[in-house]
Amino acid sequence: MYGGGYIFEETKNGERTVEDPKRLEDFEARIQAGEKIEPMDWMPAEYRKQLIRMIEQHAHSEIIGALPEGTWITRAPGFRRKLALMAKVQDEVGHAQLLYSAAETLGKPREMMINDLITGKSKYSNVFNYPAVTWADTAVIAWLIDAGAIINQVANSKGSYGPYCRALERICMEESFHLKYGHDNVVFLATGTPKQREMVQDALNRWWKPIMHFFGPSDKISVHTETLMRWKVKMASNDDMRQKFLDMYVPKIWELGLSIPDQKLKKNEDTGIWDYTEPDWEEFKRVINGDGPCNKERLAVRRRAEEKGEWVRKALMRNAEEYTIPLS
Amino acid sequence: MAEDNKDAIRNLIFRIADDQLIIGHRNSEWTGLGPILEEDIAFSSMAQDKLGHALALYTLLHEIGEKDPDTLAFNREEKDYVCCHFVEYPIGEYDFSLMRHFLFDSSEALRFGMLAESSFEPLAKIARKFRGELRYHTMHADTWIKQLGSANEESRARMQSALNECMPLALGIFEPSDYELALQNEGIFPGEKFLQDAWIDHITPILNAGELRMPDVGNCTPSYGGRAGFHTEFLKPLIDEMSEVYKIDPKAEW
Amino acid sequence: MSLKSLDPRITREGLPEEPDNTPVENIHHWTTFEVFHQTKKGDRHIHVGSVHAPNHEMAYILAKEQFARRADCVSLWIVKTSDVYQTNYRDEDMYENNQEKMYREAGGYKVMERINKYRKEHSK
Repeated sequence: MYGGGYIFEETKNGERTVEDPKRLEDFEARIQAGEKIEPMDWMPAEYRKQLIRMIEQHAHSEIIGALPEGTWITRAPGFRRKLALMAKVQDEVGHAQLLYSAAETLGKPREMMINDLITGKSKYSNVFNYPAVTWADTAVIAWLIDAGAIINQVANSKGSYGPYCRALERICMEESFHLKYGHDNVVFLATGTPKQREMVQDALNRWWKPIMHFFGPSDKISVHTETLMRWKVKMASNDDMRQKFLDMYVPKIWELGLSIPDQKLKKNEDTGIWDYTEPDWEEFKRVINGDGPCNKERLAVRRRAEEKGEWVRKALMRNAEEYTIPLS
Repeated sequence: MAEDNKDAIRNLIFRIADDQLIIGHRNSEWTGLGPILEEDIAFSSMAQDKLGHALALYTLLHEIGEKDPDTLAFNREEKDYVCCHFVEYPIGEYDFSLMRHFLFDSSEALRFGMLAESSFEPLAKIARKFRGELRYHTMHADTWIKQLGSANEESRARMQSALNECMPLALGIFEPSDYELALQNEGIFPGEKFLQDAWIDHITPILNAGELRMPDVGNCTPSYGGRAGFHTEFLKPLIDEMSEVYKIDPKAEW
Repeated sequence: MSLKSLDPRITREGLPEEPDNTPVENIHHWTTFEVFHQTKKGDRHIHVGSVHAPNHEMAYILAKEQFARRADCVSLWIVKTSDVYQTNYRDEDMYENNQEKMYREAGGYKVMERINKYRKEHSK
């Protein structure tokens, strides 16, 4: 699973490293030619910095993303769902492992990234700050949030950084199971008893707002954004991804007779573009900055997990080798 | 199978299936919250395997006349479960969970090894099918125990105290049933006493390799009662939690 | 008061209600091991990723589920990352193959023309 629109930080002018123009030119030409950049390659400091930020956020989103669905792991109804939910949450942890490795190749050790996560210094996808109130929420998350994630990840897998692309290749493969599982789960609820149907409609009503927030606000067109797109760090615009999502999934939601809580939602047949009520971006900002329904809990849980592993890591350090950055 | 063996076989399978279900459920509580990323994944796989074993065994019970696997797992009275107390305990800290994993899975691997030779072929078949999975489970457990048992003072102390706490509970795995003789005479299963002896022989050298001391088994009072439907305070809340959604409407398809 | 969660597992943890923002003390980094995976006998081992572990035995049991739980696998190789000797992309031009080394390519040997010429000259 993952998350969402790209959230990049503008680098202040004074902080920007001045790069050797010849090297920069070669670097950009290689990306232009479709070559991948590998960890040992020369790269602009800004490229390294923005990639670490993006991959790290992606990894955090996987490990935090395991929590909303994990809410129901001890209560999944029946063997089939119980096993599938465990496997799915396990995959999210596995994705975090792959992504932390990819980010590590750029020079930031895993424990440092986790430290930045639990001290609130580093962000993760906003959607995971919302609660999974009933079992049906896990179904909606597995289907629609993972669907959104796939759109984002497929775009990113064509980016320029080799280790990230390789991690995404495997991740996308596993996501196709998540999507199928989520859809199956929603279909069973939507075509089930009146109680089940009510549960899934409620969950969809709750999750529509976070889903619309998921891809992030419209991109500001700035030199900064243009550079990141030229470097194939940012691979698609937030609005384009949102449109693609609506195009692919709104009809699938409607065919189940479920309603979407947005009166304005409609495809403009002339332009092919979906009209919708503009999401509340003030709320989005508030939540991302820590004031969402579950932010505190999510971070407290990850902190506790780290603390619980502390004695284990420490004990086995005795004969351990010094940390090395992984190859890829 | 002979009609008089039917109860003996049914009871045997229920005991194993309920153990697998409850330990699988307990260990699944670590999924996504595990102390180390890679270990979170490994531990979840093994919990999934346990639930898979439970499902296979309930399916076999269904084939010999019991209700369907979901009903057996999610919709029985507490007193109808015949799991041992050991699997009911909360997950605690990772030292307790790892030690339980080691002690329980060693017994399980030996049990399934014996059942692979059972005269009741459907059970033997299941036992053979899970051999590979169990090999990984015991390798995983043995590695952790050996390493943490000899790593530093803190880890050794933690593992030793987890071992001391677990031992009476672990001995409860081998609570004899009313059918021991019938199972032995018919070549279905060599019996809990036999299994317990084999288990002690098996775990002692591994614990010693990890510099841990095997508690004096003669001085431990085994935690019995689970096999007769008398459980710890932990089982009822576990069942209620596990079946919370299922019981919204047991007739619904989820 | 401890944190009440929708997730019963988390409620049981008894987490503090107010968040703790202090950095984690004494971060312990295990080292990394590279993992190579063989799908079936006869195939090559292929690099599939890395794991954090204190030693080879632990690296193996941790790699097994992360890299072989879904894919077909018959064998894993585990290599300490620091034991891998890596070449630098700065030396990329060293690997370029020059066209004139046709003497070691199959395509560098074209004799049909010569044979045809010989046959033409010697046929009556």
